[in-house]
Amino acid sequence: MSHLDEGTLHALLDGELDVTEAREVQSHLGTCVACGSRLQEVKQFLAEADRLVGALEMPAGAAAPPPPPPRESAPPFRRQLREPETWEETPVLLVLDNAEALARRRRWFRALGWAAMIAVVIGGGRGLMSLVGQHGSLPPARDITTATRSVPPAVASPEETARPDQPVAQVVTPPARTLAKNRTLAAKTTPQPKAVDAAKAAMVDSAREPADSVADEFTDSAPPETQTLAAAGSMAESVSTDSVARDTQAKDTARPEDDLATRRAAAQALAELDRQRRRERAAAATAALQPPAPARAEAPAATEPPPSRTPEQRSQVYLRIGLDEAVKQLGSPVHVIEGMTPELIGLTYGRLVAGADPNRPVVRVVYVDSRGRMILLDQQRLRTGQAPSAAEGSLRWSVGDVMLYLRGEPGPDVLRSLQRRVR
Amino acid sequence: MTADLTELFEQYYGSLVRMLYRRTGDRDRAEDLAQETFARAVAAPPNNPRPWLFAVALNLVREDGRRALRQGRRLELLRTEDRAEQGPENDYERNERSAAVRAALALLNERDREALLLKAEGFNYEEIAATLGLSKGAVGTTLARARRRLVEAYQSEGRGKNVAS
Repeated sequence: MSHLDEGTLHALLDGELDVTEAREVQSHLGTCVACGSRLQEVKQFLAEADRLVGALEMPAGAAAPPPPPPRESAPPFRRQLREPETWEETPVLLVLDNAEALARRRRWFRALGWAAMIAVVIGGGRGLMSLVGQHGSLPPARDITTATRSVPPAVASPEETARPDQPVAQVVTPPARTLAKNRTLAAKTTPQPKAVDAAKAAMVDSAREPADSVADEFTDSAPPETQTLAAAGSMAESVSTDSVARDTQAKDTARPEDDLATRRAAAQALAELDRQRRRERAAAATAALQPPAPARAEAPAATEPPPSRTPEQRSQVYLRIGLDEAVKQLGSPVHVIEGMTPELIGLTYGRLVAGADPNRPVVRVVYVDSRGRMILLDQQRLRTGQAPSAAEGSLRWSVGDVMLYLRGEPGPDVLRSLQRRVR
Repeated sequence: MTADLTELFEQYYGSLVRMLYRRTGDRDRAEDLAQETFARAVAAPPNNPRPWLFAVALNLVREDGRRALRQGRRLELLRTEDRAEQGPENDYERNERSAAVRAALALLNERDREALLLKAEGFNYEEIAATLGLSKGAVGTTLARARRRLVEAYQSEGRGKNVAS
């Protein structure tokens, strides 16, 4: 091997050589004194150049970036629906576009389910004692009496729940259960019928796997105290996730044996020539062989497929309803497309035209055609005497006192042919 | 796949401004150019964002530099505005040094200088190659030359100053 060029030495120190190249370079360095001393020199230039560039720091106060620009990229759903030409307006976005936030809220919701379940059990009269008894550490006698006094579902005294040495909280280890119990006590102490009802409702709903929009609505309307509890529950979950992540990271940092062997061989070869000086050099040169993998790994992580969405989410319906309810909401028979079976009927926000009755929601009949394309037939009652004159061929028209608007993912021609079948 | 621009912004804005500041020596200009770069990213979302953003930013600097030169402005690299901005005497030494570094950097050719600044932002050779339109194999040589020249220019300037005073 001829002498190493300076570019190769820089690449070596920058950790940019692959294993084979690095091995060749190292073995050459082990035998060639000239290249060895050039490597020393290159190292000095490299360090000095880095120091000089690093000295060009911006004046103080410039470090913080300004607030990021408004979110420009449309969430997946909107992007998907905006493409067809027939969308004359963007539907109101009703669902969360952030998958992470969605997951978090689901976790809260689950914690609430626990709270509600335990609330009901205790409310039934068996209560704290049985739970404590199961775990073998009985509370002091005084506590038992107070607990029994509160049966049937009575209101415990505030100072009782506020006491820090409350035995109940110490007994059960899983965080969700502990929190749920605290929550129950709190609910009993300060009479909050709303919270209890909500918690019960949550339990019933969770049994049915409710739509996300319902879950969101519930979480938003829940009293702050309930939210705190739920947040604590989700925190406990995230802690365990973190520790898993740390474990994974630790595994990732393991170096291939190959690399290790290269480093040892190089170090020995250099030590023979000039022990002290050479050993230093070997260490420096091999230290630069850190695989650049971690830096590169960050790039492809962003391309995760969006989570699949329910029909309600896709059609942006905030409440799914039956036909009878739809007739009630609309105040007249609901229009449908003849020969097609609706995927669902639901309610959505907004007004189809200026003359629409603001007190009535938009009833949205959702179809999915044989090719999986979504078609929406929106209908809303007009205020009396507000019937607008619809243009010929428009997909927005009125029948009697009801405004209709047909739109969807198929092209306008398909929609027009469907429009003729609306009854 | 279109990258999320907000994420890009959070991830790269700081780095981009720092690189532009080192390149131009003018904080306001660096921020303007970074904003302009992101505005272009909004218009045409890049596939490989980091090299793309930095390549666009460096192009903007070059265009801007040519315009400035035509208008008879002083070469931007020699400006030492931070001296005026920071004021206090205890920063004097530091400002002197950044001025000297900037002057040394100005002596490098465009490609060497840019490779050096990208490396300082943590770019690997592949990304530098993609940003500057080089082959990956040429990056080591480019950086070797750039580092050597920068250090030599800086040292020779220091010597010149010592002799003059």
